Amino acid sequence: MPVFRQRKARALRIFFATDIHGSEVCFRKFLAAAKVYEPDVLLLGGDFAGKGLLPVLRRGPEWLARLDGQDLAVPAGEYDRLAADITRRGFYPVRMDRDRLAELEADPAALNALFREEIAAQARRWCELAAERLEPHVRCIITPGNDDPVDADPVFAADSRVEFPDCRVTDLGPVSMASLGFVPPTPWNTERECPEEEMAKRIDEMLGPLPAGAACILNFHCPPYGSGLDEAPELDSSLKPVLRGGRPSMVPVGSHAVREAIKRYQPVVGLHGHIHESRGVQKIGRTLCINPGSDYSSGVLRGAVVDLAGDGTCLDFLLTTG
Amino acid sequence: MTGAEASAGPARAVGGEASRLFIRQTSGLVRELGIPAATAISLASVAVVNTFINFNAGLTAFTKADMFLPLFAAAFIWLVAMFAYRYLLRAVPRAGGEYVYLSRVVSPAVGSVAGLGIAVVFTYVLSTNAHFAAQFTPFMLSGLGAAFHSAALANAAGSVTSDTAVFLISLLVMVVVALLSMASVRLVARVIISLIALQLLAFVVLIGVLAVHSRADFAAALAAYSHHPGAYQAIISAGRANGVAFGTSVASMIAIIPFMVLNYNGVLYSYYVGGELRRPGRTYLHASVISLVILVVLWGGVWALLRARIGLPFMQAQANLGAADPAAYGRITSLNSVAGGLGYGMILSSDPVTKILFATAVPLAEVAVNLAFVTVTTRVLFAQAFDRLLPVGVAKVGERNHAPNVAIAIVLIIGAGFCYLTSFVNLSNIVALQSLFFALILLAGGVAAIFLPFRRPELIAGSGMDEGDRATLLRRVTLVGAATTVLALFTVVEIIVHPSVYGRFSAESTITLLVVLGSGPVIYAIARAIRRQRNTIDLALAMHELPPE
Repeated sequence: MPVFRQRKARALRIFFATDIHGSEVCFRKFLAAAKVYEPDVLLLGGDFAGKGLLPVLRRGPEWLARLDGQDLAVPAGEYDRLAADITRRGFYPVRMDRDRLAELEADPAALNALFREEIAAQARRWCELAAERLEPHVRCIITPGNDDPVDADPVFAADSRVEFPDCRVTDLGPVSMASLGFVPPTPWNTERECPEEEMAKRIDEMLGPLPAGAACILNFHCPPYGSGLDEAPELDSSLKPVLRGGRPSMVPVGSHAVREAIKRYQPVVGLHGHIHESRGVQKIGRTLCINPGSDYSSGVLRGAVVDLAGDGTCLDFLLTTG
Repeated sequence: MTGAEASAGPARAVGGEASRLFIRQTSGLVRELGIPAATAISLASVAVVNTFINFNAGLTAFTKADMFLPLFAAAFIWLVAMFAYRYLLRAVPRAGGEYVYLSRVVSPAVGSVAGLGIAVVFTYVLSTNAHFAAQFTPFMLSGLGAAFHSAALANAAGSVTSDTAVFLISLLVMVVVALLSMASVRLVARVIISLIALQLLAFVVLIGVLAVHSRADFAAALAAYSHHPGAYQAIISAGRANGVAFGTSVASMIAIIPFMVLNYNGVLYSYYVGGELRRPGRTYLHASVISLVILVVLWGGVWALLRARIGLPFMQAQANLGAADPAAYGRITSLNSVAGGLGYGMILSSDPVTKILFATAVPLAEVAVNLAFVTVTTRVLFAQAFDRLLPVGVAKVGERNHAPNVAIAIVLIIGAGFCYLTSFVNLSNIVALQSLFFALILLAGGVAAIFLPFRRPELIAGSGMDEGDRATLLRRVTLVGAATTVLALFTVVEIIVHPSVYGRFSAESTITLLVVLGSGPVIYAIARAIRRQRNTIDLALAMHELPPE
């Protein structure tokens, strides 16, 4: 006879990670999490796209690249290895000559287009990798964040192994999951931003039609405002952190609309990201809100394991680092 | 090119011909600790000026002692260990030290041995440091009294020596440390850097003071300070009469090596905050090398000057006479016999600023050490709470300061309790094996590094490496781990065979060590069984490092 009261059996396990920003290491760890944590669903919650593009220049029989502040040269036959090293750091290696480099330096639109091409190409590679590495019974869901260009959407949407349910509700068995990659306006004017009113409208369009009392979870990239999961450094007009009393002033930058939705619909769990440094777990009413944070630049995948029972209640959670 | 090993292939550094990285505008900022902050944590964990007390202890505990060989041999041991920890940090780049390495690389149960043990012993060390600062308060007040020509300050030195006064001062130190620790890690690091700068300044000034004075100057200054015309020679003669053996012996120097290993203890501690370091492997390596070089140069240089200016026979006689026959020593001079170089500097210096520096060096050093130890200890607690081995509330991070406030409060409350016990109860039998525990921590690091290539090779040798590079790297990690283990074992054995110096195995001390080491696995086993019965997430999952593939 058990000494402690046995709880309900687990019906669904989700492994959630977010904000990997093009880190090949983190994506591979994300896929490896399927074997380690044995989840039913792998969920990558936004900001999958990388931030840096690294020109690799040809000079005679060598390729040149500047990596970690050091100029490196490799023989022409070793390009793949150099590219793999660059990719592992979350940057996009692009072979080019000096004329093309000068063109990119002079033309922001051309650079932007190249970034979008590379991000879409990476999305294709990741879909192939997911198909190759994941067991058939593990669902792989990827949703965008504010930093992800829309150019990658069709790649994921067309893929047969990866699901891409942005701005809609997905059935996960015991619970339904609503996903939203939009965030309120940021100082960087990124791809998926909209005013709070529009956020609220998008959320209501997803959650409103759900039957009353139906168990649901939120996969909203933006954390709820003032939850402690949305504390980011306050920035001045030049986007530099504001210091108060000798340290960065931290301010809440989450979404009021997300907070209101949580209070109104009381989902079982809220899975969020966006603010890398606000890793944590908070309760808003009955809702367990989780932001696993991000440390992608160190090649570290931060995540969360969430166990749900057959009736949709949350059994347990675990923040992970690996 | 994920590190030195990978870049050993065809890639090579060239001049500035390659292009810059293009960055697109995206959101997000990440907090990170750089090399200065990591160096500060390492240096502060050592307590730079405490080495004078340790020199004195070495001279007292061993006949014919000299510090050159022990200083350099101990630095070599830490240098080898530094590479072992570097590989561990690269494989598991996060806070928690040996707890995290052992739990991820060897097994969660083994990790829990280190986790709780480190938390308890480091918390006790906090109290002993605070207690030490309190014991040095009379020395500080005497020095300040001399600097300010204040009889009141000098007289106050005599009124803060009771157990109650020592307890209250050590409690005050803990409160100051608590208040400072609640600031962000960066701010704590800045405070620590400032305190270390003061210690280093004291060292540099002491070197200057010793360099410009001769042995005759010191003898004259000691005579004037002691109101005893032949104080210098009298101490040597009294030492000889007390059976002090002068000169040096290799056997004695080898036996002192563990002393100096413990003296450097902390010099690598930036790995405990590995999760907050920018580019952990590189930052840790730079911080550790800088710290080791600073300590070797300063300590070696000061010891050379002390030998030249003060004289080894005098130091040997003073240390042994002060310990064996304090009454006889007190009849010759009132100079604190354990203050070592700081005491010599105090009586040689003529200006008040120098006296203030020497007088305040030890108490300020203890505050710096405790700030660093709170940072380190709370990260170990944090890591265990994060893994659900301790209540999850312990891992709660403050919204404003981003520091683990609950863990800090726990450490400081328990530390204050230890302060009380240290002041009013004789704990010497119970904590006698503390030195052995610190050596076992080093051993744990070596063992974890040996296991790393066999248990989790994928964590250090990623898919980007060819088979040749991979095999070379794994072999190197094994060798570094084995070398660290052998050197740590040497330290452990030396500590065990010199019980009169490093602590005796008694019923109390052995039971204490077993409880400290055994409580972690017991808690792990209970917590895991409870979680299994409740159908909640298995503890072992929390302690599994994700492979890169």
